[in-house]
Amino acid sequence: MFLFSASQFSNLFSVLFSHYRRHPLQLLALALMIMLATMLWTGVNHLTTQARASLGQSEQAAAARSQLERVDGQALTVADFVTLRRAGLCVTPWLEVERPGQGGRLVGVDPLAAGCFAQTAPAAGNNSPERIDSPESSKKPEPAWTPVLNGDPFIDISEAAELAQNVAPSNVSLSLLIVPPEPASALPADYRMTGFSLGPDTGELGDSFLLNLDALGFLVLLITALLLRSVYQLGMAQRRDSFALLQRFGVMPSAINRVLLVEILLLALLSVVPGVWLGRLLAGTVSGGFGQALDSLFDTPLYAGQSENWLTSIATMMAIVLVVCLAQNVQALLLRTAAVLSFALPAKLLTGFGVRPWPWLALPLAAIGLAVALLAQSLPLVFFAVALVFAATGIAAPFAIAALSATLARKTREPLACWRHTELGVMARRLALPLVALQFALAMVLAVQALVTVFEVTFDEWLGQRLAADYFIEVPAGASANAAAQWLAAQPELAQSGDWHQVVRGVAQLPAAANDPAMADPKMDNPKMADSKMAGSKTDRKAQSVDLFALGPVSPLLTMWSLQAAGDQPWQGFAAGEGVMVNEQLARRYPLAVGDTLVLTLANTRLERPVLAIYADYGRPAGEVLINLELLPDEFVPVFESFSISPGASDITMITDGLQRLWQVESVRVRDNKRIRELADAVFDQTFLLTRAMTFVTLVLAAVALLIMGWVFFSTRAWYFRLLQVWGLTKRQVLAQLGWLALTLTLSITLLALPLGVWLTWVLVHRINPLAFGWSLPMAIYPGFWLQLGVVSVLIGLSITLLMRSQLGGSSPKPVSAASLRGDER
Amino acid sequence: MGQGTSVTEPLLKVRGLGKHFASAGQTVNVLSGLELTLAPGESLALMGRSGSGKSTLLNILCGLEQPDAGFVSIAGEHFAADSSASGPNQQRWAMLRRQRIGVVFQEANLMPALSLLDNVRLRARLAGQSDQHCGDWLKRLGIGELTQRYPDQVSGGQRQRAALAMVFAMRPSLILADEPTGSLDVRTALEVADELFHQQAASGCALILATHDSALAARCGQRLDLAQMGA
Ligand SMILES: Nc1ncnc2c1ncn2[C@@H]1O[C@H](COP(=O)(O)OP(=O)(O)O)[C@@H](O)[C@H]1O
Ligand SMILES: [Mg+2]
Repeated sequence: MFLFSASQFSNLFSVLFSHYRRHPLQLLALALMIMLATMLWTGVNHLTTQARASLGQSEQAAAARSQLERVDGQALTVADFVTLRRAGLCVTPWLEVERPGQGGRLVGVDPLAAGCFAQTAPAAGNNSPERIDSPESSKKPEPAWTPVLNGDPFIDISEAAELAQNVAPSNVSLSLLIVPPEPASALPADYRMTGFSLGPDTGELGDSFLLNLDALGFLVLLITALLLRSVYQLGMAQRRDSFALLQRFGVMPSAINRVLLVEILLLALLSVVPGVWLGRLLAGTVSGGFGQALDSLFDTPLYAGQSENWLTSIATMMAIVLVVCLAQNVQALLLRTAAVLSFALPAKLLTGFGVRPWPWLALPLAAIGLAVALLAQSLPLVFFAVALVFAATGIAAPFAIAALSATLARKTREPLACWRHTELGVMARRLALPLVALQFALAMVLAVQALVTVFEVTFDEWLGQRLAADYFIEVPAGASANAAAQWLAAQPELAQSGDWHQVVRGVAQLPAAANDPAMADPKMDNPKMADSKMAGSKTDRKAQSVDLFALGPVSPLLTMWSLQAAGDQPWQGFAAGEGVMVNEQLARRYPLAVGDTLVLTLANTRLERPVLAIYADYGRPAGEVLINLELLPDEFVPVFESFSISPGASDITMITDGLQRLWQVESVRVRDNKRIRELADAVFDQTFLLTRAMTFVTLVLAAVALLIMGWVFFSTRAWYFRLLQVWGLTKRQVLAQLGWLALTLTLSITLLALPLGVWLTWVLVHRINPLAFGWSLPMAIYPGFWLQLGVVSVLIGLSITLLMRSQLGGSSPKPVSAASLRGDER
Repeated sequence: MGQGTSVTEPLLKVRGLGKHFASAGQTVNVLSGLELTLAPGESLALMGRSGSGKSTLLNILCGLEQPDAGFVSIAGEHFAADSSASGPNQQRWAMLRRQRIGVVFQEANLMPALSLLDNVRLRARLAGQSDQHCGDWLKRLGIGELTQRYPDQVSGGQRQRAALAMVFAMRPSLILADEPTGSLDVRTALEVADELFHQQAASGCALILATHDSALAARCGQRLDLAQMGA
């Protein structure tokens, strides 16, 4: 069967291809669709890769590294560097100087000293994007850090030192970065390590965003496959008559299939290459602004450029084309087997084109999918559930529209309306695949839009909470934070117009849960914390240490925090030392709800307090407990102490000068929160913009797909619209019928996309994110955006109508295929 | 029938009708100086080889195509060649096609998504007739038991019978039939033609039948050979 000669093959090929010689527009539509689908996937994939790389690089540039400080609080000098190098430690100087003229920062580094920053140290400002892009290379050990000294932003330390002499001392800072030594005791006693970073750690919020980008990429792949399959099926349908004829001439169906496979692969190859090119062009255009924003933020070309292989894109698309075509054969095989097994199967089922033979399958699929999505405790299961629900909707949506139109047709007394409704049913079935693709695209756009908005709002709120104070001052080692607190409290101007609070960070112990007196009063029926019930039963609780934050006094900087769950007047209780607060991560994992009593061990002192509130913290995965500073026992050893200060009418330099005098140090470390916030906001704004652009591109291409398919479909039915004209409808009236059909179709698929989109949002926010990261995002619904989608679908419908208008005019077109001549295009 | 026109006045009057097509840089005169008169209830056979302009003339006579010269007067409405492309004329033509002129093509006269009965009902209602007797029309044309079938579920002859039922159900003044039996086998063609002439005589409407079958043409009252005219 597999053997047939080359001449036979080429004969058959030319016979089959002659269809397209007669209908060049169909061939064009097919090629265009493959090209557009390729462009869509390549573009989105490219953008996702770039967003990931860019986010990764910006995080790396701002990544927390370790630096050294003198225990006596004195500024570091060259002598310190020499001492540490002699001790065999990997240290490198990092001299930040204001860039003369343009603003921004230059960083002076010593490339030789940086050489030891291999493997363990995150390489800041590494300018080779491939390193981050490709997953396999990121597993390799990090290459030695060799910064490019081209002023973007790195320059040689000697140049930086020269520049530093002409700049105000406040605009110069010298740090010593260090690879943490093993063991830690290798560090000379005069020094201690502290964190070093250029910006805030976006932490898991960034990771979560990337996870969602991946989900998006997967959906786009699905939509692409659907579009390709619809094109393929359309081609098949249009040539049914030729196939039937060939079979009557004795050509085996398998031979026809093989020729078709070669044909579609050739066509795919010809269309995929320009598609990949266009996709990359598109991605490049959209992401230009993104790259620029990152560059200006970090004074360095951080944006990962075009790096992904052309061949990968082309091979992926060809693979998808193949799968799409083979799916046809697999389906045929299944149906043939089914036919052999049961002769009772109606013939319609076997030729079932467009019409899914198993619409009833959608119900159990959807039921299982919804249940699993609700109950699953692992990410793969939730993803599986999402796939099930999408499959169910894909099967059911065209069928639902067809069934509804059939019911309406039966109900109506007006024959023309009856015709409209039946015609709508035919369209829903015949255009099933592009319709489903559009539905998925709409649902995806809806979910991503809601998600991105939620991310934006959440991120904004969280940053606002974290960076509520204008400045952040570290307490140097050995200095008395309490003395500073007293001094701050005694400043009249600060008390009048400013706000401040002291932060002591350390570690507390939580007991295991078995016969736990701490859990005497569990209020697990709190609806807001319903999820925590699922996070594990109480007996799962293990003794654990958590991060402890002792804060005081309670200022407006704290009371502006948005709380996820809280009792009555939580901050008043907190100020009075009546209770504690915990972060969402701890509440979910331990688990805890508002009103539960928490037992804490702080330096051998047992503290028993109710949970007053649960707050959101997206930056860190660890559990946290917040207590009033006054509850801290004297013997507690802090890990880190600081002050958050909004000076109000008073001057921050007045405060820092006062603290320097008090602590008797040459300088104190002050962090300007406003600048950090601007930085972070800008990075995230661009990332969100990029994501929105991607989903918009998806929507536009899905719409174009429906447009093309609708056009091809209508061209096979143009005769029947002409028939209406013969029966006495004016051209305008016929056009109105056409418009009604196109608009009803696109609007109803949009309506069907809404619940899917909302559900997808819910899954992303309430199921996937908590399972992946242990915290949830607030769920939000934006009906305004639904309206926008409605407008988009109206535009799609109108465009189809306008495209069809040209086919209605002129001389009477004859039905295009033998099938339509016989009138069996039902 | 023929509402609004007296019996003595002809139903259809065509004077000096001309039509040419421009294809591949050449102009092809399909019709020129054509004259035609038809009274209510009369029948006319339009003869000629394939490509002689039969379909073109029928299209002009129902306003689907515009002539270059001459004028057409039909059921009291007058259309001159130069003005026939304008909007109001299109409205008048549409109204005529809707209520007075029934058109039957060789194939594809039915909406595939509607049952035979629904097809007839749709056509009758568009013509302003009640749809109560639509089933009767199908019965009269010999396919009374197939009313709920769809076009793809019946034979070609049965489809043409349904197409005739549709046309008669609208109670037209004039039927334009373009080779209505052209795609049928000889026996079925004869049966369908019998039905056509029988119902035409019974309903008293006029008929223009385009055909290249001289036996069929012989059954019409008048004959017009386009091939001879064009030459
Ligand atoms: N829209 C058109 N454009 C160009 N030529 C046409 C068009 N319609 C018909 N013709 C030509 O006019 C002639 C008459 O066609 P037609 O009326 O269909 O003939 P018949 O119905 O007698 O077979 C033919 O030569 C045909 O090629
Ligand atoms: Mg003809």
